[in-house]
Amino acid sequence: MTKRMRTANLLLACALTVGTLGVGMSAAAEEGSDKVLDFAMNDDLSTMDVMNTTADYMVPMNVFDRLFEIKVLEDGSTEIVNSLCTDYTVSEDGLTYTFTLREGVTFSNGEAFTAEDVEYTFMHLLSPESINADIALRVAGAEAYMAGEADTVSGITVDGDSQITITLTAPHAGFIAELTAPAMSIIDKTTVEAAENFGIDLEETVGTGPYVVTEWVNNDHVTLTRNENYWGELPSVETAIMHIIPDASTQNLMFQNGELDILDLDYQDASIVASTYQTQYAEQLVSRSRLALTYMSMNANDEFMSDPVVRQAIQMSIDRQAILDSVFNGNGHLENGIIPAGVIGHNDNGTEITYDPEAAKQLLADAGYKDGDITFELAMDSSSSSNTQMVYQIVQQQLAAVGITAEIKTYDQSSWLDTRKSGEMDSFIGTWTMDYNDPANIMDTFFGSVENTVLRSDNYKDTEIIERVAAASAIVDDEERYAEYQALEEKIIHEDFSWVPLYALNHFYAISEDVESYSPHWAGYSDFYIKDVVMK
Amino acid sequence: MLKSIGKRVLQTLVVLFCVSLLIFILLRIIPGDAITTMMGEHANAETIERLTKEMNLDKPFYVQFASYLRDICTGNFGSSYTLNKPVTELISAAFPNTVMLAVFAALIAWVIGMVCGIIAAVRKDGILDRLFMGFSLLGVSIPVFMVAMLLQYLVGYRLHWVDISGVKNWTGFILPAIALGWNSAGSIARLTRSTLVEVLQEDYIDTAKAKGLGQGAVLLLHALRNAMLPVITMMALQISSLLSGAVITETIFSINGVGRLAVDAITSRDIPLLQGTVLFTTVIVIVGNLIADCLYTVLDPRIRKGA
Repeated sequence: MTKRMRTANLLLACALTVGTLGVGMSAAAEEGSDKVLDFAMNDDLSTMDVMNTTADYMVPMNVFDRLFEIKVLEDGSTEIVNSLCTDYTVSEDGLTYTFTLREGVTFSNGEAFTAEDVEYTFMHLLSPESINADIALRVAGAEAYMAGEADTVSGITVDGDSQITITLTAPHAGFIAELTAPAMSIIDKTTVEAAENFGIDLEETVGTGPYVVTEWVNNDHVTLTRNENYWGELPSVETAIMHIIPDASTQNLMFQNGELDILDLDYQDASIVASTYQTQYAEQLVSRSRLALTYMSMNANDEFMSDPVVRQAIQMSIDRQAILDSVFNGNGHLENGIIPAGVIGHNDNGTEITYDPEAAKQLLADAGYKDGDITFELAMDSSSSSNTQMVYQIVQQQLAAVGITAEIKTYDQSSWLDTRKSGEMDSFIGTWTMDYNDPANIMDTFFGSVENTVLRSDNYKDTEIIERVAAASAIVDDEERYAEYQALEEKIIHEDFSWVPLYALNHFYAISEDVESYSPHWAGYSDFYIKDVVMK
Repeated sequence: MLKSIGKRVLQTLVVLFCVSLLIFILLRIIPGDAITTMMGEHANAETIERLTKEMNLDKPFYVQFASYLRDICTGNFGSSYTLNKPVTELISAAFPNTVMLAVFAALIAWVIGMVCGIIAAVRKDGILDRLFMGFSLLGVSIPVFMVAMLLQYLVGYRLHWVDISGVKNWTGFILPAIALGWNSAGSIARLTRSTLVEVLQEDYIDTAKAKGLGQGAVLLLHALRNAMLPVITMMALQISSLLSGAVITETIFSINGVGRLAVDAITSRDIPLLQGTVLFTTVIVIVGNLIADCLYTVLDPRIRKGA
């Protein structure tokens, strides 16, 4: 019996070994196919319809085109270039835009692209089901259409197949920049009108872009295949496979094992980036300075933070450079305002926030606060990366050094968002990445209306300033507009101490030896344009 | 026996009702909701209000629950808020992966665990006993995620024998199944060894030997059959731990399974998907226990005769 047992064990071990060896060979045989780009994303898509998502932009960015796109220049600055629009004019009052559209373009199912598709895109985005409508709300008649009071958007007029006129409710200098946002992806009216499950069904989700989605296996992978009828220059990558890999260490091993061609190092621990990627893979690193701002929010409704002196003391107590150096190995730069570096209108000469804990202590003592008097909650989303968790802890310690108690409370993602949107979150550390390259994007989102300041749990009190922020986007003269934004930044950050601007990080990616070049998204998104990857 | 199975099926229905009620209540008392999570950074009050109405989340609790019960009785589990697909479609796509993983892991856990336990008992205090018990101790002590990462590193990255993650074919289940099954194998091996060692000292074993039966026959016909009862109970209990352990394993090895669906549903407050996955998992655990009970009846005549 014992002998038989031994034999059985041996057989089992052999079977496992042979099985695993067999796989090794098959896995090796599948690799080496050129022009196939493998990359990973943390989460599966919820939809490919931008009307229904504010986060899943990877597929829309590659399957659809917009009227304009943003191009990164060699010096790192950006410019807006024509895409499905070839020319446009603006009326003198800055209200009416007339667009001439590219002719001879077809959707991947063969339907012709016309001005009606552009009109339909706006209507789709403004439909009552949309959760992404805010980007198109400046168009005249948008609100009436959304409310179901009109059958069409009155501010949009189609003139033939290749001309469309869009009228705004008020001048908006950032309108063209807004049209580059992923939410403004142009869809096919004929297909979407007839579709039962647009954004989910692959055959119904067609665009004019360089790629077509050919496979989507939930929680496993999405395959994008090159659109051979693409109107522009055919991209280098023939097939792109987006693997859904929720675990960062698995992604790390897969890249090092040659199973991924692009690794988004944002998901990796900063210490791994420094110890492995900035050393062993230094030649294969690509980076883009994020057009994003990480900030600490302070709720003006809080018992203590309603006092500007406390807010100023908090600003002075945080050693932002130390955080950047210790957590992110110095890979980024400090920010002192609201509009991050790289965004048009950024103020290079704005007031700097100085780290001075002694002065902060003095400020608090002069205002009558004793050590330990000031206590508030620093709310953290449980899905935060290990780096962000470390930032929270450092901020907590730095505040403790001046006698302020910040209690870190962890919420799960959904509760965190819910509490923040209720306006009742004391304080948190957040990051805003630009949707389009115009200061209006970040200024309006945070300080453009009383409702927005509540949604951000900031509860900024100066309504006069809020009105000025809302009005600034209508200033047609760029220099004048930038000056107004910069003045508002000075007031909000350096006079009212509403926020603690922290830093903007560099976004690193590692590329495999099969990739010739890769240009990350202009704003440093994790999503990218596959056409910006060139394979060897 | 049929009567007792019928009784168990009735109990199952009551358990399912209680589980669905509990999950329904829990999802509505915790903070955070599907709509704000779904809308992310672009939120406005009107849209939130409209979607709340559309999803019936503004109706009283009992109305929502009644409508939910009515729907599941007709096989309609609703559509996932976040993945925009019917829950049944999502679960049926993920279920084969979870089953494969659980079956592979159970095979590893139960077959290897029992074989090691038997050898260790027969060779008590010998080298094999110490070796197998050492391995089983490791299996019980090291957390699943740790084993998973070690296997990925050693077998996937260093030896290149299998893919580090994903399931292209059945071989993709090897590493996750070992990671998931090792822990259970350890418990089974230790339990099999201890009960078998105890049984082998019983008088009836000496009687069997005295009758002239060979060692194999004594072990198989007399000792093992009696030693198996607590092991089978443990196996039944392990079904739920294999399913819950699959949540971690599926995430680390990027397998589209029911556990991963459930975790995603929790973080995004995807109520229909979470209810679907929880109910589904509950049914599996109950069925597993039911099978164990039946096996128990077959193996132990005292239970069969109601003694």
